[in-house]
Amino acid sequence: MSHPAHISFARLEEIVGAPHVLTSPEDLALRRVDGFLPSAVIQPADAAQIAEVLRFAGAEKLAVIPSGGCTKLGIGSPPARYDIALDLSRMNRVLAYDPQDLTLGVESGMRIEQLLRVLAEQKQFLPLVVPYLERATIGGIVASNSSSPLRHAYGGVRDFCLGMEFVTGEGSQAKSGGRVVKNVTGYDLHKLLIGSLGTLGVITRVNFRTFPLLPAQRTFVAAFSAAEPAFQFCGAISRSPLTPQMVEIADPGAAEVIFSGGGPPQAEPRKWSVLVSAAGLPEVVDRYARELGHMAAAANADELEPLGDSEGPVVLARIREFPRLILEAVPSAAIFRIGVLPTAMPGLLGELSSVATRGGVDLISLTRASGIVYAALLPKEGEAATVPLLSKAVQEVFRVCGKSEINASAMLEWCPPEVKLAAGGVWGPPRPDFGLMKRVKDSFDPNGVLCPGRFAGGI
Amino acid sequence: MQIKPQLVRDLIALLGPKAVLSEPEDLMLYEYDGSVELGSPECVVFPSSAREVSEIVRLANRYEVPLLGRGAGTGLSGGAIARDGGIVVAFSRMNRILEIDAANLRAVVQPGVVNLDLSRAVDHLGLYFAPDPSSQKACTIGGNVSENSGGPHTLAYGVTTNHVTGLELVLPDGEIVRTGGKNLETSGYDLNGLFVGSEGTLALVTEITVRLTRKAEAVKTLLAVYDTIDDTTESVFEITVRAITPAACEMLDGFTLRAVEDYVHAGFPKDCAAVLLIEVEGLSEAVEAQAAAITEVCKLHRAREVRVARDDRERALLWKGRKEAFGALGRISPMYYVQDGVIPRTRLPETLRRIAEIAAKYDLQIGNIFHAGDGNLHPLILFDERDRAQFERVVAAGGEIMRHCVDVGGALTGEHGIGMEKNELMSLIFSPDDLALMARVRASFNPAGRLNPGKVLPLGKGCGEIRIPHIPASAATPA
Repeated sequence: MSHPAHISFARLEEIVGAPHVLTSPEDLALRRVDGFLPSAVIQPADAAQIAEVLRFAGAEKLAVIPSGGCTKLGIGSPPARYDIALDLSRMNRVLAYDPQDLTLGVESGMRIEQLLRVLAEQKQFLPLVVPYLERATIGGIVASNSSSPLRHAYGGVRDFCLGMEFVTGEGSQAKSGGRVVKNVTGYDLHKLLIGSLGTLGVITRVNFRTFPLLPAQRTFVAAFSAAEPAFQFCGAISRSPLTPQMVEIADPGAAEVIFSGGGPPQAEPRKWSVLVSAAGLPEVVDRYARELGHMAAAANADELEPLGDSEGPVVLARIREFPRLILEAVPSAAIFRIGVLPTAMPGLLGELSSVATRGGVDLISLTRASGIVYAALLPKEGEAATVPLLSKAVQEVFRVCGKSEINASAMLEWCPPEVKLAAGGVWGPPRPDFGLMKRVKDSFDPNGVLCPGRFAGGI
Repeated sequence: MQIKPQLVRDLIALLGPKAVLSEPEDLMLYEYDGSVELGSPECVVFPSSAREVSEIVRLANRYEVPLLGRGAGTGLSGGAIARDGGIVVAFSRMNRILEIDAANLRAVVQPGVVNLDLSRAVDHLGLYFAPDPSSQKACTIGGNVSENSGGPHTLAYGVTTNHVTGLELVLPDGEIVRTGGKNLETSGYDLNGLFVGSEGTLALVTEITVRLTRKAEAVKTLLAVYDTIDDTTESVFEITVRAITPAACEMLDGFTLRAVEDYVHAGFPKDCAAVLLIEVEGLSEAVEAQAAAITEVCKLHRAREVRVARDDRERALLWKGRKEAFGALGRISPMYYVQDGVIPRTRLPETLRRIAEIAAKYDLQIGNIFHAGDGNLHPLILFDERDRAQFERVVAAGGEIMRHCVDVGGALTGEHGIGMEKNELMSLIFSPDDLALMARVRASFNPAGRLNPGKVLPLGKGCGEIRIPHIPASAATPA
């Protein structure tokens, strides 16, 4: 799995300096990917050093996996090879911030929590409310296209990323886009790097547009006795003139996870909860309270309650950290991220529930009303043969997602390496555009230096 | 290049005689678009399906002839011009809306559907298609996808790429393939993100799945009138700084306004230095507050008057003035050259002063009408092509404006595209390594370079200078 004998540490030390070539067992263990350990951790200071490391790796036929906060290294297929971990944590500066223009350029190793603090000083933010907030870095968030509940109002990374600088697998420093808010100069290559899991290039700088913090914010919780009325409520919101910051549907299990940090009394166990955040002027937030109340009543909600000033941030943080909370409680959980249309959501959740029942596993789901379902399959307590049961259920999930009336796009984002292997992969059945992805990969990284084997279609 | 008569016969056999044009008088209509470029195709074909497009591509490959897609021909950078001759694939027969899925805010359309026709088709559902280039009455969604088109309201709602979730493509080898779909996300690389805005150089688009947007409950359109350009740009600056996000924030200078008013009669004051046309949208409570805040900013910066459109008719008239401004200028000048540079919004006041200096230095009339809110300039240089000396000054002035945009950290084009107009300027922004990677990505899809040759990437002919325009200004209407 590792080939220390093949690596010239002297050359790597020449490039980044001896103190920045780490080989201690702890340093290697932190960058473990699905049981594979690197032979060395390299900490470059800038893009030029990354380019040299990658050229060296190409010449020596070594495989490189970039990392930041090491919070999402488990996403993707197990690597085919892994020799060098490229740790971006030294590249952690804000390079350009023009609050008056609402634009920002930041190095990829910067932690999002720290960046959000810088922005908050100017009463601005980025809508990247993502899991592992205190450790996750910009590069990792972008490369894994981390999902934020604020996607409902602000879109995903692709919608507010203005441009990027990166180093290709061949060690060529490149960029695309720019730092102005509107730009069609050249191909949008940076969009390809969003969600690429490091397989195309090492991201070194990301430019974003920033957003003003809104004066007032309140989150409302509606509790329902079943899934169907919860989705009716979401449908009504979607047809209304309201444009909430966030609409999340928690099944009873997810509600328990979200509210166990000190939740409101109405969040009784075994209820479906819909959480809606409104932000803006106080009179706008008041209007949300009125209209959401009417809509919740029309959908037979048990009640609609605003979260208090102290519990609001706690509940939002638990929504943000949902996958992490599941994994911390049940490390062997298999968590899907599923793109699906709103009208197919109830059907999908019904199918998932049947899969879980038939397969002898538990299911917890948290749904972003704009079109993403997080579905966690959990082994039942005391179950010994978890891997075969989970793997079978994983295959079933991919199958039901492919049904024509569901037509969902599933990716198994988090699961134990043994399940990845036993289930036959995390990317689901082959899609017709995999061939195009291979062409893209060959343009950026023809020698397969970056994260070989981790991506869809064996890329 | 001379295409073989046998190729025309093969195309007729494939598509029928009415779907193939090859007579010079027919081809003349397809020599130009909304830019100042010119190029003659040798054949124009009108496919009805992706299958036919694929067969056309295969024939072009067999005969080794270049080809390119074309929608309404309203583009502003020569994207739909047959630079090296060959076949123009015109999408006017593929103009059906295939599906409207209101509950999921999606529509599936063929590339020849006119932008505004889609919004009209979903109007009764309270929905619309957000990208709104000024040519939206004519331009097609296939063209919007190729150029990643913008428009005044993209300030709040984003450009075309933010509204596309799926594509059906015919690759340069004839393969028909789908990327994305109706879902918000699909796993794998964001291929939609690559193809949207690739200016027809990677694939021909044969079907598009777009997001629809719900119409806002309330809209207010304001017209702020100024006696100096500086006050106008300072107002835009402060609106941005105060984090008020209007749906649109457009600026027209006095020179442009007078031409517009004579043409459209929208009620613009003819004696001012500039106006801002600002629109706010959303919940009625928010709209009231935003309109009040904007009025306050404008007054603070010495706006002579801030007028609010009283009804839909007044609002429509103000927008008609904005959207037909380029046509209005076409009436008073034999030719004009319009640019599309982008700057950080904080650099707007100094940039407008710089443009005025450049106009004075070269003794030229430069109109300014543009998307102030997102820093997307459209300086418009008027000239008479019979005056060669003036013509050379236009080229020099255009180059200076573009260099200023680059120097302050901006971009060459915000929405019109690179095409064959600015491809030699790409090296002002991108390094040889950046361009080499783009070339390699293009070659991975379009290895023979047969699809839309001579666009986007530099050919290495005369680097860094604005190309000289060739034809009189049409009534083109940039976004």
